[in-house]
Amino acid sequence: MKGKKLKNSHLDSLFDGFLKEEGSIILGFKRDGNAIGHHIFKGSAKDYSLINPFFSANGAIYFRRLFSKGAKLLFILRPCEIRAYVELTKLTQIEREGIVAISVDCPGTESEKEKTDRASLPEDIRDYFKGDNKKRWACINCREKRGVVGDAGIRLDRDYNMWIIPYTEKGERLIETLEGELTDIPIDMAISPDRQTDSFKTDMDALRSDLKRCVLCMNCRDMCPVCYCVDCVFNGDEYLPRGDALLNKVLRTGSTDMPQGKELFHLIRMYHVSQTCVGCGACEEACPQDIPLTKYFKGISERLQGIFSYMSGRGFDEAIPYTTFIEDELKDAED
Amino acid sequence: MRIGIFICHCGHNIKSTVDIEGLKGYFKGLNNIACVEDYPFMCSEPGQALIKSSIERFGLGRVIIAACTKALHQDMFKNLVRDAGLNPFLLRRVSIREHCSWTGEDIEKNTSKAIRLIRAGIYSSAHYEPLEEKQVEVNKSALILGGGISGMSAAAFLARAGIEVYLVEKEKELGGHVRHLEDVWPVRERGKDIIERMTEELKTLNNVHIFTSSRLVSFGGSFGNYEAVIENSGGEIKVIVGGVIVAIGFTAFDPSIKPELQYGIDKRVITTLEFEEKMHELPIKEGSRVAILHCIGSRDEIIGRPYCSRICCINAIKTGEAIKNRFKDSYVESFYMDVRSHPRGGEEFYEDTQEKGLLFTRANISEIIPEQGGLVLRGEDTLLGMPFEREFDLVVLSIGMSPPKDNQEIAGLLKITLDKDRFFLEAHPKLRPYDTALKGIFIAGTCSGPKDMEESINHGRASAVKLYGLLNLGYAFIEPFVAYVDPKRCSGCRMCEQACVAKAIKFDEGLHIVRVEEAACMGCGLCNATCPSSAIALKGYKDTIIDDEISALTEAV
Amino acid sequence: MAEGNKETPEIIGFACSFCSFKASEMAGSLRMKYPEGVKLIEVPCSSRVDPAFIIKALMEGADGVFVAGCHPGDCHFIKGNYYTRRKIAALKEMFRAFSIDEKLRLFWVSASEARRFVDKVTDMYNNIKETKR
Repeated sequence: MKGKKLKNSHLDSLFDGFLKEEGSIILGFKRDGNAIGHHIFKGSAKDYSLINPFFSANGAIYFRRLFSKGAKLLFILRPCEIRAYVELTKLTQIEREGIVAISVDCPGTESEKEKTDRASLPEDIRDYFKGDNKKRWACINCREKRGVVGDAGIRLDRDYNMWIIPYTEKGERLIETLEGELTDIPIDMAISPDRQTDSFKTDMDALRSDLKRCVLCMNCRDMCPVCYCVDCVFNGDEYLPRGDALLNKVLRTGSTDMPQGKELFHLIRMYHVSQTCVGCGACEEACPQDIPLTKYFKGISERLQGIFSYMSGRGFDEAIPYTTFIEDELKDAED
Repeated sequence: MRIGIFICHCGHNIKSTVDIEGLKGYFKGLNNIACVEDYPFMCSEPGQALIKSSIERFGLGRVIIAACTKALHQDMFKNLVRDAGLNPFLLRRVSIREHCSWTGEDIEKNTSKAIRLIRAGIYSSAHYEPLEEKQVEVNKSALILGGGISGMSAAAFLARAGIEVYLVEKEKELGGHVRHLEDVWPVRERGKDIIERMTEELKTLNNVHIFTSSRLVSFGGSFGNYEAVIENSGGEIKVIVGGVIVAIGFTAFDPSIKPELQYGIDKRVITTLEFEEKMHELPIKEGSRVAILHCIGSRDEIIGRPYCSRICCINAIKTGEAIKNRFKDSYVESFYMDVRSHPRGGEEFYEDTQEKGLLFTRANISEIIPEQGGLVLRGEDTLLGMPFEREFDLVVLSIGMSPPKDNQEIAGLLKITLDKDRFFLEAHPKLRPYDTALKGIFIAGTCSGPKDMEESINHGRASAVKLYGLLNLGYAFIEPFVAYVDPKRCSGCRMCEQACVAKAIKFDEGLHIVRVEEAACMGCGLCNATCPSSAIALKGYKDTIIDDEISALTEAV
Repeated sequence: MAEGNKETPEIIGFACSFCSFKASEMAGSLRMKYPEGVKLIEVPCSSRVDPAFIIKALMEGADGVFVAGCHPGDCHFIKGNYYTRRKIAALKEMFRAFSIDEKLRLFWVSASEARRFVDKVTDMYNNIKETKR
């Protein structure tokens, strides 16, 4: 595989060059002293940060229902973000036309909720990973931390040198103007291919116990990059009765813990996102009650994708399993 | 909302295993229940009058009829509700007979189950909406598959009644099996003569289009406007027909799958059909010994044909009679399980042939051993319980009827069902014996199970009458159970569009939502189950309806 | 939420109107017996069954849920049951992770298979009754 070795100054010129054109926008991270967060750059990409070692949200939620007619957009995304982007594209929640999406190798992230002391954030973020840090469960168990999806990828070699690799024509066009020739990239990279984890196994008691704290605020749903419905089924009365409907139900059926329907909500949502969940853990970040949601959502989705040999966000051409079928399959499922 | 509940006793069918008074007591106490009535037969005229007057008297918004299953009397009850001024889709049928009183014996448990089933009807029907059935024009034309005696009878009736008929036969000539019969009992005519008379009749009618050496290759559409493609050497012909009669007949049982009978190995073993064709060429003379074996390919669990073929006893007797008539001094012995000469005059025919000297032995024949001089039958006399061996010059196997060869193919094209013996299944064995589950598609003749000629002709005519009744109206209502999209809730993810089998969902680029082409929608509800927000829903089966049905069934009584 | 009587299992079955529901009607007409705890919800096609219904039924106290449809290839709606199989297979995999997979079954029962319908539901009922003990 061929790519170009990068210096920071190369990226500066690449991004600023991209933004010169009218109607151009870049979505990436911006560093403001010790704080790093998602940012939309217009005009200049000053203070951008290629890597953000802290996770608060999956950037893909910012471009749901993005049907950019005529605009030129450059997305610089983490692997979990670009995979959500791929899924949302398949679900026609994003119009790919005017978008160039670049994925960046991710050494793993810490939770913003941990309130890590940022006084010592080094000048070059890459140096941060050389120290000791407490990565999130989602990152430790991540299936794909490499920037291998999208129009181009920025990869880190063993010495944390950056390489930019084009994957599509759009990617090739983007890096055409960059200094240097396309050369073979090193075989040995800082971030190794996906890690195999055991098939997730638990029971209902564990789920009930973990959900005891749930207040059904539905932040997990709202911050989920692949929960794209404009109006969720849980907004209505069908599954989670409220007010008089709940009163009626209690009168008919007997006492209930409140809020009622926690397991129902999480199990149905788990099924809804089972094929598209990228395991980023944004749900757990959004949870005010610190419920370990990632292990359930990531664990279930990996099992459910596994039976169809599907992996969310791996490619634009793979159909979401529930929208297709093979006549001769899944005989085990028949009783 | 004012709800009326009507509980049918169905004579003793429901009443004997469900506590009707208990049901009434339970529902009288619930909110919104305006009336709870019971009657021995809700389908009878007084029963209907009771429902109608209650709708008017209480101003009912929902009618729950707890009786037999929806497959029965549905149109009648719908019309009744419509006549009383209520939208017929606000009627809910609850099956407390087929799904409750007949499946359990314990009155207490049945009553509790009936309560839940009726409650499920109440809860879910609360979410029903008045629906409008779309009226479509019905083509006064029919497709008849199979030009045998049954199909031809149906064709003749329909054509004379003014229906355009397309009669499709896969063989070169019309007539099916009957054409090859030398002696049709009891009319004692040649089958060929009967068929030729019927063919002449069909040819005089200018609205019968006969396609021989032709097959059905594609089928679609709905009642009134089915689209069929017929293929023959001339190419493909597309016809639009109002309804269909399937009369593809049977396949004669092939005895070679029972090797112990030596059929196909020894030329002295023939079938009754072969006997009909070559009656005069057979190597028998005065003094010859002939055995006739009954129930070959019938009443035989081991080879998957447990049913009685109904025609073979008469065929066997007829064969014996023919030999006896020609060679008075021949020895003819029939080996039977039971003699079921059931058609009118059959029993007398059986007696007469016995008087002519035909011998009948109740026996199980285990094998036929070909010897130089003759065929040795080995078996057991089941009346005496004695084993025997007897030698014969000729053995005639009275073969039964197997399902038609094309049954799977036709069932697949038309989306109709086969029964456990692989014949076509009727909608109801007693009340709808000619209908399939699909409106306007009927079955006739032996493709729905063994029948003799008289029954096949009657079955063909009966199906024709039933179809004529539907076509002659000139219009039909299309079930309004189609998918619809809530434009405010649709995210435009196009999952439903990708999954839709009927390709009835189209994406609107401008609004970024999908819409449903109602005419193409089959009403399966796959889209509804695929949409995570149920923004696309199937009328009559939307989420709230099913969700509340679930709640009703899980709640304690 | 409803606790109900733990002795007798409550099973909710979704049956497609063209095959399995017809088989259940025939089973009734033939006076075949099966446990009262088995209750059916008629759906036009097994593909109408949203896995959310199954989750809801179980969370509200059903001890088991089955989905019954036409045999693959026999679907009145041509391909509906292949989608059903995908969805139910996925849901079963999910239930396996939560160790509740015995609560969900998928049957193919054609309109003529009344005996098969009764055998399938009775077997499921007995199985769940056994595990509840």
